[in-house]
Amino acid sequence: MGVLLLAGTRKGLFLLEAADERRDWSLRGPLLEGWEVFHAIVDGRDGTLLACTNSPVYGPTVHRSSDRGETWERADELGLPDDSGLTLERTWHVEPGRAGEPGRLWLGGAPGVLFRSDDGGATWTPNEALLRHETRDRWNPGAGGMCCHSIQLDPDRPERLHIAISAAGHFRSDDGGESWRPANKGTAADFMPDPYPELGQCVHKLLRSPVSERLWQQNHCGVYRSDDAGDSWTRLDGNGLPSDFGFPLALHPRDADTAFVVPMGGGDDRLTTNARLGVYRTADGGESWTLSSAGLPDPAYAVVLRECLASDALDPFGVYLGTQSGSLFGSADEGATWSELARQLPPVLSVEVAAWS
Amino acid sequence: MVVVLLPSMLAAEAGGRKRIELEAATIEDALRGLPVADRLFDEHGALRPLVNVYVDGVDVRERDGVGARLEGAEEIRLVAAIAGG
Repeated sequence: MGVLLLAGTRKGLFLLEAADERRDWSLRGPLLEGWEVFHAIVDGRDGTLLACTNSPVYGPTVHRSSDRGETWERADELGLPDDSGLTLERTWHVEPGRAGEPGRLWLGGAPGVLFRSDDGGATWTPNEALLRHETRDRWNPGAGGMCCHSIQLDPDRPERLHIAISAAGHFRSDDGGESWRPANKGTAADFMPDPYPELGQCVHKLLRSPVSERLWQQNHCGVYRSDDAGDSWTRLDGNGLPSDFGFPLALHPRDADTAFVVPMGGGDDRLTTNARLGVYRTADGGESWTLSSAGLPDPAYAVVLRECLASDALDPFGVYLGTQSGSLFGSADEGATWSELARQLPPVLSVEVAAWS
Repeated sequence: MVVVLLPSMLAAEAGGRKRIELEAATIEDALRGLPVADRLFDEHGALRPLVNVYVDGVDVRERDGVGARLEGAEEIRLVAAIAGG
């Protein structure tokens, strides 16, 4: 076996391959030339590569490859119905269905929309409940647009899904997507007249632990954890993090207490804090955070976007991040030490990692 | 018969074909006959605003838009309008 790192960039997709030791990486790309690749994954069920691709000229779509990126097919049907009054602006995140759901994929996009495919990504059906949600007129776009950027499936409850939209908040469905309920109690929206509204929070990234029901989110206004599927949230910054603001989030593949964030200034600078590139790690559920930066550049004035932090499932597990400056960094020892895997790439928009043979 | 010339990014989406010949009565018919029609028009049927269409060298916006009849025109050239980056 080996590892495949997928780096979506402003100018196509780059693939980096390594053996499980993750010492030597080979770079391939750019693939999907001309497309902005907002997110790219390997569907672990069948090895298909999937990419959320966008162009200011040719619009949003999804590409898929069943031959390791040699050739690509584009979605046949993807768009919003005429009577919605909405036009699909961008595709942001693609998420495979569960192991027992062959062909099923989920896709998040702007303006705050979700699609499902049951044919491996050839055709996509918009989720009507979210499209026509009764609170939609209270949603607002963040700086990147009103993106549905996080989709998390509960592996134990087939009817439960979580999504997050910037800036509408976290929504949960307990009926397979037939209805959605905002679930943001305890998460702040300091930019709103009511700083703790029912919805409207600017979630930057939301993940579910691979091994428990615990949810984590990096928000515009804090880092949070929920141990009740999002019914309530506990704020976790202010105890070792230099900033409550940031975009990406990564989790330990086997320990629900361990997470990683990359804090950034939340004011006008929006750069990594303290003029360095630092990953912060908690191993106690967010009670405390410690800087993990050995091998990362210092000084550095970096931007790490919401999809640009990922972890693999090896033991010890690896952590990976990409910057708008075009660098990819990796750690093969659970974030203890880092090295630069690639540099001078186009601005990195997403990083994902998968087992690969 | 009209020839449609595709820019490189669309050609890649059309299996590498930079030049496609087809029969069509109107400009729109020709464009909708392409394997990349969904990249030229959005889901509501509107021509994407940064796609420029030239028929025998004339911007269709100076004619009657994409609904105009081809009437012996020989070449449709698609050009991506984009500044910088």
